[in-house]
Amino acid sequence: MGLAEGQASLAAQNFNMPALSPTMTEGNIATWKIKEGESFVAGDVLLEIETDKAQMDVEAQDDGVLAKILIGDGSKAIQVGARIAVTAEPGDDVSTLEIPPEENKPSKPEAPKEEAKSGSAPAPKKEGSAPAPKSGSKAPAGKAQKQTYPLYPSVQHLLKENGLPKEEADKIPASGPNGRLLKGDVLAYLGKINESAGSEVAARLKALSHLDLSNIKVMAQSPKAAPKTAAAPEPEAMEELGVEIALSISLQAVTEVQQRVQKSIGVFLPLSTFIARAAELANEDLPRSQVAKPSADDLFNAVLGLDKAAAKYSRGNFVPEVTALPPTTLRPRAPAKKPDVLDFLTGKKAAAPKAAVGGAAQVVGPLNVFSVSVPKGDERRGRVFLERVKSVLEAEPGRLVV
Amino acid sequence: MFRAVASRAVPRAARPVTQSTFCAPSIYFQGRLRRGYASEAEEKDLVIIGGGVAGYVAAIKAGQSGLKVACIEKRGALGGTCLNVGCIPSKSLLNNSHLYHQILHDTKNRGIEVGDVKLNLGAMMKAKETSVSGLTKGIEFLFKKNNVEYIKGAGAFQDEHTVAVNLVEGGETTVRGKNILIATGSEATPFPGLTIDEKKVITSTGAIALEEVPKKLTVIGGGIIGLEMASVWSRLGSEVTVVEYLGQIGGPGMDKDVAKQAQKLLQKQGLKFKLNTKVVSGDADGEGVKVTVEAAKGGKEETLDADVCLVAIGRRPYTNGLGLENIGLEVDERGRLIIDQEYRTKIPHIRAIGDVTFGPMLAHKAEEESVAVVEYITKGYGHVNYGAIPSVMYTHPEVAWVGQNEQELAAANVKYNVGQFPFSANSRAKTNLDTEGFVKMLSDAETDRILGIHIIGPNAGEMIAEGVLALEYGASSEDVARTSHAHPTLSEAFKEAAMATYDKAVHY
Repeated sequence: MGLAEGQASLAAQNFNMPALSPTMTEGNIATWKIKEGESFVAGDVLLEIETDKAQMDVEAQDDGVLAKILIGDGSKAIQVGARIAVTAEPGDDVSTLEIPPEENKPSKPEAPKEEAKSGSAPAPKKEGSAPAPKSGSKAPAGKAQKQTYPLYPSVQHLLKENGLPKEEADKIPASGPNGRLLKGDVLAYLGKINESAGSEVAARLKALSHLDLSNIKVMAQSPKAAPKTAAAPEPEAMEELGVEIALSISLQAVTEVQQRVQKSIGVFLPLSTFIARAAELANEDLPRSQVAKPSADDLFNAVLGLDKAAAKYSRGNFVPEVTALPPTTLRPRAPAKKPDVLDFLTGKKAAAPKAAVGGAAQVVGPLNVFSVSVPKGDERRGRVFLERVKSVLEAEPGRLVV
Repeated sequence: MFRAVASRAVPRAARPVTQSTFCAPSIYFQGRLRRGYASEAEEKDLVIIGGGVAGYVAAIKAGQSGLKVACIEKRGALGGTCLNVGCIPSKSLLNNSHLYHQILHDTKNRGIEVGDVKLNLGAMMKAKETSVSGLTKGIEFLFKKNNVEYIKGAGAFQDEHTVAVNLVEGGETTVRGKNILIATGSEATPFPGLTIDEKKVITSTGAIALEEVPKKLTVIGGGIIGLEMASVWSRLGSEVTVVEYLGQIGGPGMDKDVAKQAQKLLQKQGLKFKLNTKVVSGDADGEGVKVTVEAAKGGKEETLDADVCLVAIGRRPYTNGLGLENIGLEVDERGRLIIDQEYRTKIPHIRAIGDVTFGPMLAHKAEEESVAVVEYITKGYGHVNYGAIPSVMYTHPEVAWVGQNEQELAAANVKYNVGQFPFSANSRAKTNLDTEGFVKMLSDAETDRILGIHIIGPNAGEMIAEGVLALEYGASSEDVARTSHAHPTLSEAFKEAAMATYDKAVHY
């Protein structure tokens, strides 16, 4: 990492003892063919190495200058991967060159070898992985692969700065997305940072790139109950005192049908059954409640004029209350008011109609008052309901028993 | 010969008339009828429940991939929360309230003297509605264009392949799907003890539809939604107090330096903050809304009076009425539908995406997922990079970030470099007289790979796109720094922050 400072030093490269065969672990340097300070071009023989088996020439892969020879002629038993020289870019001033430290030796199995742009012969390069076991603990950044995308600006810069040809990029293990070569990969390749740094970052980011689905705690078996009860009180709180709408309805026709049924099949149908069935029918497709609490969405839709798409009709759940009273026609107990825009906007909820199915027992006279309680503003809905009940009960009660 | 010409001439003259009055509508109706018929008898390749961002994008994508697809939506308008009551309308209000505020307080310095400045809230709301309705209708058009059947109604599972739809216009229908996608989204989490009426006690939905400017507004929750709405109403004249349980605003994802700066700037605009403060109770029975708060670690109580109280403590998945129990689907303790990495529930042909399941509740996250989920269905693979999803807060100045923040990196024991560049040193910001904020970049100490980018400043929301791209490509800060940025632009601050990260900024 001493390399980081100083322009002149940027191009200095360690040149390490190459492995010339898979089994080679050490060798002797016979002679250096290039002297310190001399330049060489690709293909020049840099030095001769001898092993117990053979003597071989090591050729330069690229142009450069031999800045310093660290292990001279005749040295014996040099470990593969040990630094034996320092090279520099062609034209570099060797005298001002800062010599990089040897710190890459233990951790850099292939990188140090290949990084030496002056490089070893193709043969040794192939065996480059031989020393790998030494650094077994460090995972390489990724697989080297052909870089089909334009190289990143930082990568281009680093390659240039370190005298690596562009093709070298294809040999550098890449840790980026889809095998892209990153700045960190080149730095690791050059031995400027920890070799595993790139892959460590990549692994961290990879973990972050997935949804975290660990430690999911399934909601207890009654998951639906909780939200429902929580939501329930809201509408109730909004309930309003309603207006009562009443209509007198003659039950004469119903009584007749009732008797006919009893005569013909001997079954007594209580009046409450007729009333309940009539109410059931009448509840269908009532004009939409004017005051049903619009949800926030409804509100917003109304503002947008999108509410027209919404249903005009909805099912009611009115249950009429029946009392035998002197006949009156429509008899709202509170003055019926036109639907108020404010009510609509404040979202008053349609009051749940009072329970109590009409007590058939109370029905004494032929004329009875049917009444329902509706929220203010919803009188029309209630009235439509009652009028339907009336027409069913007075005109065709027979329909109810078919 | 004469006859021949004559006989030919007559039908030719008549043809255009019959075509225009008879043919076109009949073709139209045929199409409609056939489609309506198909929905009951024929099995769809994909049935989507929910027409929000997750659902509608998936529907269009599926249509484009040649699937027979139906999308069920009960709102009566497509686009979901985002388009109807969320991101879109709030941005309209944020933009216009900012203009108003600027005309009131800022144009004089710029040499523009304006006479009487008046707020017409109704017209401002109208502008918002115009934007929204234009966009929702646009989606409906895209549905038609991509052969998506749009079913207006509320869907509920009948069985594993059948969805019963309670139609908005009355009646019921059922749809069968080979695949079913749940995209029902989320709803605002209510605050226990405060009943939402969207008038006095409001969620974000009510906050974009107030009919008058409240004199005092209490905001429970200092996250992004809370701060955006607080900004709107504060600019329009409200006295706003934001109560936040945590020690910083903006939620846990926001970088601490950015959060501090944002708080400082918003305070300058008139917002009041109560951090590390919890809301004990609320009472909306009287005139306004009373909210009782105390220090989070215990302390003496205090009551905040306001005309309106905004509850912005988060959102929760929405699955009510979906009939999950009919098919035995499970949710986790926070109500999220349980899925695997390919968005499958335990019934593999039923998948879930967006707010109703895991991950950040963001429209653009849902959108990514909808593309991925359709790819999983059609091709068997898909991809969303959850590590590169940006977050934006549209206050002024804006706040935007992507990746990890400083406190997260510190907690994970990661060594990192920081580069920061202030807009006060950026030429364009200077000419705009809008120089608050900075760009902060975090990169890995060794490899220089960018880990996070945090911006507070003008146009941060647009600028973050570059950061997301950088993360997606695994770029180093040097890569950004060596990329040309036009001069004079705000984006130069982005570049300079990158330079400051791996080397040194030039202009600071």
